[in-house]
Amino acid sequence: MNDLKTTSIFPSLTRRQLFAGTAALSAATMFPIAAWADGSRLNVRAYLEPDDYDPLDASGFLEELLYGCIYRKLIQYVPGEEWDWQLDLAETIEQTSPTTIAFTLKEGQMWSDGFGEITAEDVKFSMDRHMVEENNSRIKPDLGTFTHVEVTGRLSGIIHMERPFAPIWTIALPYLAGTVICKEAVEAAGGKITTAIPPAVSGPYRVVEHRLGERWVLERNPDFSGEAADFERVDLIVVVDDSAAEIAKEAGDVDFTSIGAGSVQRLRDNPPADATMTLHPALFYHWVGLNVQNPKFEDIRVRQAIMHAIDVPSIMQAAFFDVAEPSTGIIAPGLIGHRPEGLIPPQADFARARELLDEAGIDRLEINIDVLNNVTHTTAAQVMQAMMAQAGIDLNINVHESGSFWSLGVASDGDRWKDLELTIKRFSMTPDPYYATAWFVSDQIGDWNWEQFSNEEFDRLHDEALSETDPERRDEMYRRMQDLMEESGGYRFLTHGVTANLFADSIAPATRPDGQPLVQFFRRA
Amino acid sequence: MMDRLKHSLIGRLLADPMAVFAMAIIVGLVIVAVFADVISPHDHTAMNLADRFAPPSSTYWLGTDNLGRDTFSRLAQGSRIALYVALVAVSISGLIGLTLGMIAGFGPRWLDNVLLFVFDTLRAYPTIILALALAALLPRGLSTVIIVVVITSFSEYGRVVRTQTLSLKNAEFILAERAMGASAARIVFHHVLPNVLGPFFILAAMNLPVVITIEAGMSFLGIGVPPGTPSWGATLKDGFDYIRNTPWIIIAGGLPLILVTLGFTFLGEALRDQLDPKLRKSR
Repeated sequence: MNDLKTTSIFPSLTRRQLFAGTAALSAATMFPIAAWADGSRLNVRAYLEPDDYDPLDASGFLEELLYGCIYRKLIQYVPGEEWDWQLDLAETIEQTSPTTIAFTLKEGQMWSDGFGEITAEDVKFSMDRHMVEENNSRIKPDLGTFTHVEVTGRLSGIIHMERPFAPIWTIALPYLAGTVICKEAVEAAGGKITTAIPPAVSGPYRVVEHRLGERWVLERNPDFSGEAADFERVDLIVVVDDSAAEIAKEAGDVDFTSIGAGSVQRLRDNPPADATMTLHPALFYHWVGLNVQNPKFEDIRVRQAIMHAIDVPSIMQAAFFDVAEPSTGIIAPGLIGHRPEGLIPPQADFARARELLDEAGIDRLEINIDVLNNVTHTTAAQVMQAMMAQAGIDLNINVHESGSFWSLGVASDGDRWKDLELTIKRFSMTPDPYYATAWFVSDQIGDWNWEQFSNEEFDRLHDEALSETDPERRDEMYRRMQDLMEESGGYRFLTHGVTANLFADSIAPATRPDGQPLVQFFRRA
Repeated sequence: MMDRLKHSLIGRLLADPMAVFAMAIIVGLVIVAVFADVISPHDHTAMNLADRFAPPSSTYWLGTDNLGRDTFSRLAQGSRIALYVALVAVSISGLIGLTLGMIAGFGPRWLDNVLLFVFDTLRAYPTIILALALAALLPRGLSTVIIVVVITSFSEYGRVVRTQTLSLKNAEFILAERAMGASAARIVFHHVLPNVLGPFFILAAMNLPVVITIEAGMSFLGIGVPPGTPSWGATLKDGFDYIRNTPWIIIAGGLPLILVTLGFTFLGEALRDQLDPKLRKSR
């Protein structure tokens, strides 16, 4: 017994101490619940994992979701229903000539981690590095005719362009390429941000943890120079699947998520408790692309036959649940360059497809389509498979995970890009047509231009349109470019889709007009 | 005659209610697979978007999926895929495992060590990771599923057969055969092989549902059969994607997997009970 007494883990614990200890433990365990209950934590779903913290590697909206929280720009998009921008780091910014923009930064805007004040040198470093060939910036096209930033003072500078660049206010400055990073911190890190946690941030939040494939954990940035963020902690949680994201929302694991088109009608019929669904016209463009350089499709009649055998309304019904409308091109309604109608109507014409194949001397055509492993595109591919069979076309579907899929058309990732046949893709978009056509110029073959579409007139128009300041003339140019794409037989435009968001009533989300979240502006309701 | 049947393996299995239940399921599966075209009330590929997500009815016995395809007809066709993958993959991996296991057990020590190293290495590799890696390299389809199953499972057969062979290698009747000048081939094929077949078949029966669930799992993850193929896993995937719209697809897709797993597992256990002398004595 004596031995037992001396080795007890509670050698002299009285009943009163036990009660006190239990009470303290209970209070401690209740703390996280209290923190959650007062709304100081926000969980936002990310449908893919952003690449990293370096804008050189950015490829689309997912990076913007993260960068918007941790970095700043000269100007930012205004949340709401209309596309507009507002000052962010800039105190003043104005177009001083067709090829120059002068800016002055606000005083006392600070970097985190002791890296001092944000200066014009940081702006110059951040934008100029995209133009350095060796840096292989994936978003260099966003900057158009930008050449360099001239520093004129500690907080002032001039942005120079080779020629006028209309989208500088809608794409270059308020989106990915306009992200300002800390020159001193990045140079100390070897010129590129490759660390698990970014060395310096300036936005309302800072990264405290990145659980690969799972989430980014952000917390309020104490060095942020603007109005303090409303949430103490923000988790950007990677949930690839729309159904899983919706279940996560219902379980309370995420506060804000986009949802699949298949859920819209059901949620309209049975609105969820304590949550709101919103619908926004999206700017994305989904399309079926065909590699026009593939010898199998050398004869344009074969390419046209394939395009005529794709029934877009059936795809809208099956894969987009009739929530989205067929598109006429890559530029959404409301933007300069939108075409009221395409050259080929959305409805399939199987007789015409068969006729074209007969003219090309083909009895039965077997082709392959590569799609991303998501329910919308695999469903669309299955509908195509069933419909194309009516025209004598056998379609084999190859499904890929994200990493594998997005390397298919990239020349630096092997030779598969040469043998590509059909693909279904969706690109994100900004409110300027330049951003849509930039990926289909000849220079983009082997990178984003998987159709390997190369047309001199298209390239010329793209180049001229970015400097064109007359909206009507610009509109014509972009319409013509989409005509050229369609005439090549390499493109069957599907839809711009819709963005359906589902969020808890305890938060007041902020989104762009196309429904994409601007998490840095989220507030508690 | 009746007495002989009663004491034969089949007779003993027929006397075991669990085995009878298992065989009924398996025979049912085989019948559905063979006569899938006859018993399917609809074309399993025919889309009817107006009827999508229909609940079970006299027209659609197990309802319809997101493209309005008849779920029962797709499951009936899916039984062919399940059986095909299971039989081919288990046969190939079993044959490889049987051969290598006997070589390891009866061959020289160094060869045993090499093969044991191969078996252990492959067994240590997670099936799903290997499946993901191979799916990225090979074209999608049943052949890729079969390759994944063979690579991940032949070592299991090899291990079991090797152990059995080692225990037989120094048995008195084998030593007597050797003393009488019997060749290695005669010893292996006439004495070792018949004695390792019992455990081998038990393992094969137990592995059949595992293979079926691997195929279903790969198709569920989108790395198995191409979309549109009526695999049970693909049906489960459709059911999961649209579980908020209708629960019927995932319920219907899960049922055959549960039944087949039960059937083959019970059969394997019944076989083990009958073929293992120790278990038979204890009954």
